[in-house]
Amino acid sequence: MTGVLPGVAPMAVPPGAFLVVATLLFAIGLAGALLKRNALSIFLSIELMMNAVNLLFLTYARMRGDLAGQMIVFFVIAVAAAEAAVGLAIFVALFRAHRTVDVDKIALLKW
Amino acid sequence: MPALSGELVVFGFASLLVLAFALLMVVQKTPVRSVLSLVVTFFGLSVLAILLAAPFIAALQIFVYAGAILVLFLFVIMLLNLKEEAADKDDRPVQRTLGLLVALALGGLLAGATLRAPLPPRGTPTGTPIPMPDEIPALGRLLFSDYLLAFEVLSLLLLVAAVGALLLSKRRFE
Repeated sequence: MTGVLPGVAPMAVPPGAFLVVATLLFAIGLAGALLKRNALSIFLSIELMMNAVNLLFLTYARMRGDLAGQMIVFFVIAVAAAEAAVGLAIFVALFRAHRTVDVDKIALLKW
Repeated sequence: MPALSGELVVFGFASLLVLAFALLMVVQKTPVRSVLSLVVTFFGLSVLAILLAAPFIAALQIFVYAGAILVLFLFVIMLLNLKEEAADKDDRPVQRTLGLLVALALGGLLAGATLRAPLPPRGTPTGTPIPMPDEIPALGRLLFSDYLLAFEVLSLLLLVAAVGALLLSKRRFE
């Protein structure tokens, strides 16, 4: 079966506005991921970037009147939950071993 | 010029909230404050999702993201007792500038590209038309028909992730 958004009314807000918000959000997340030195803050920034992409998916789903975009967002959120659990566990283990989560100090595999 | 409808006002307010608190999240030095700023961002994003006719995703955004994932972040931050980012001694100004430039350039590039891209055509509805108020049942039907395999794989992934997280954060392998 194909998912079709029921009775899609014309959008009051131009879809381009949503797209611009999403891209700006992605850029902000990227800036955070590049500028932060704390592994947890970098992780948070990546979550923000994922949400920017989710917003993009929702916008396109609305524009096309197709539920597949919303479905993908559902899966992204679920995978993000799994990823957050494992990632945070890694940080906890890392902190036990090195007493820090500063990515400048954790450079064992860097060179 | 479009009339200033209520929807437009809500959109302006929500997107301003989202962007402002996302910026605040990046600027904050303390991880706890970063997380709290991100909570506000996620609430704004769920308002945007409602504007995009996705109430289920909006609810999910608040339940899963703000309610579960960010709370997990808060737990870990407080468990590790992270202080400020070591006063952030600016010992690598080149990388900072470069990072900022890259982020700005990519943001401009993406915004320009998305605005210039041809908009996808409205899909031609092929399924049986669904009555107006409920798309959540439609989503559920879709989830358990077309996406059933992905859904089952996802549940397995969550189980594996939970076991893996448990194993990783165990104090010692015995």
